[in-house]
Amino acid sequence: MSQDPLEGCRISAGKKSAVSLGKALHPPNLLVVVEGTCGACVAASPVSAPEGSCSYNVAHHHLCVCVRVCMAWQGLQKGETLASLKQESENLRRKLEEERGKLTDVELHQVAEKVETVAALSIKTRRVLKGHGNKVLSMDWCKDKRRLVSSSQDGKVIVWDAFTLNKEHGITLPCTWVMACAYAPSGCAVACGGLDNKCSVVPLSLDRNENVTAKKKSVAMHTNYVSGCSFTNSDMQLLTSSGDGTCALWDVESGQLLQSFHGHTADVLSLDLAPSETGNTFVSGGCDMKANVWDMRSGQNIQSFDNHQSDINCVKYYPSGDAFASASDDATCRFYDLRADREVAVYQKDSIIFGASSVDFSLSGRLLFAGYNDYTINVWDVLKGTRVSVLFGHENRVSRVRVSPDGTALCSASWDNTLRVSRT
Amino acid sequence: VKKKTPQASANNSILQAQKLVDQLQIEACMERFKISLTAADLVRYCQGHRRSDPLITGISSSSNPFKDKKTCVLL
Repeated sequence: MSQDPLEGCRISAGKKSAVSLGKALHPPNLLVVVEGTCGACVAASPVSAPEGSCSYNVAHHHLCVCVRVCMAWQGLQKGETLASLKQESENLRRKLEEERGKLTDVELHQVAEKVETVAALSIKTRRVLKGHGNKVLSMDWCKDKRRLVSSSQDGKVIVWDAFTLNKEHGITLPCTWVMACAYAPSGCAVACGGLDNKCSVVPLSLDRNENVTAKKKSVAMHTNYVSGCSFTNSDMQLLTSSGDGTCALWDVESGQLLQSFHGHTADVLSLDLAPSETGNTFVSGGCDMKANVWDMRSGQNIQSFDNHQSDINCVKYYPSGDAFASASDDATCRFYDLRADREVAVYQKDSIIFGASSVDFSLSGRLLFAGYNDYTINVWDVLKGTRVSVLFGHENRVSRVRVSPDGTALCSASWDNTLRVSRT
Repeated sequence: VKKKTPQASANNSILQAQKLVDQLQIEACMERFKISLTAADLVRYCQGHRRSDPLITGISSSSNPFKDKKTCVLL
């Protein structure tokens, strides 16, 4: 069809405009979504053409509609149809699966058969950090291996000395549900954010009397909640993940957006930066059940994994940077080999039916600590795929688990308002 | 608190489909390695760092700052 079937309707490229359609349109092969309310009826009932259909009857109404045609129309003029693109993507997917399949000459646990089993762990809770007034949602260790920062539904962010249980700083945010917090590499600042759709950086003062909350500076701005944040290898850049489906890299000093990462089709719940030796990539996971690996400089999504059957709550790199693990609401944790480009282990048990919220590796990468919504922490043998231990103690969901930078302790944050530090 | 944001409306479906094809073409170009090789590397890393992993080897009480200090008695 060379003629524009909507000729006579005022449409500007890429923009919505009010159009009055008094006749039925039956354009073959034209994909149009017509939305709006009937000008004659008082009740608002959206009229829309289902995807892929080519006709809709508007004979009975005078519609004032927003017609968003131009993108679809341009695509059609190029000779592509939705159907042919879908076919091409199916073919590419199949080809990718074939390629990945060819490389699966052995399973990870088979390669690990000769490795000796891990001795039974005798990890015990050594400290219980009490002070938050509501669910603790996130925590992060300081590089000095003794301080940590935690954030809570109560709107507070607390910096603790885990050895002495001393609360060194308390920051009050104007919102509840502070879902993300991170310690700066220098140890001189923390970042936090959540339902305020922002991520702020707070410099920590040595002067106890100083009000740190007053020095809080907004850095990241999203259009939905901030679910995760991490400094890059310096205090100067901050990486955030958000319920708006994107991740973003920000310059802390100016608040400028340096790069944004688009590709997830639903809320992004977690991100983790590759260990500095491996290069400029990070991994993210979200409600679209996908884990994506990104190039930080180009913003390009370089690898994608869609093995989980439900939301991915947490992603974490293996210490060597060649693999990563994920925790999901589907009650499993999974391990992905980045160079083979596939999932190589699933950590699951019939008795584990609650979602996993958080994962972290021990220093050598042999153990995977995973926090679950059934209040427990399961410790998995990464190589053999078996469970080594279960840690009890929390009285509500475990929201976050993090191994300390020197690998000697595990900190777990929970909806029971406490954090626990555990060691052998 | 977690909520799903709705998928982009259908009129962007061609744009989305094109983006997906472009993305898959990028992923198709990636160089991949056999699991027998990559898994061996993962195992090697674990084994190589085993001794310096305190949660596997355990730490003596004297060097454990979290172990409860014993009380001292003044004679």
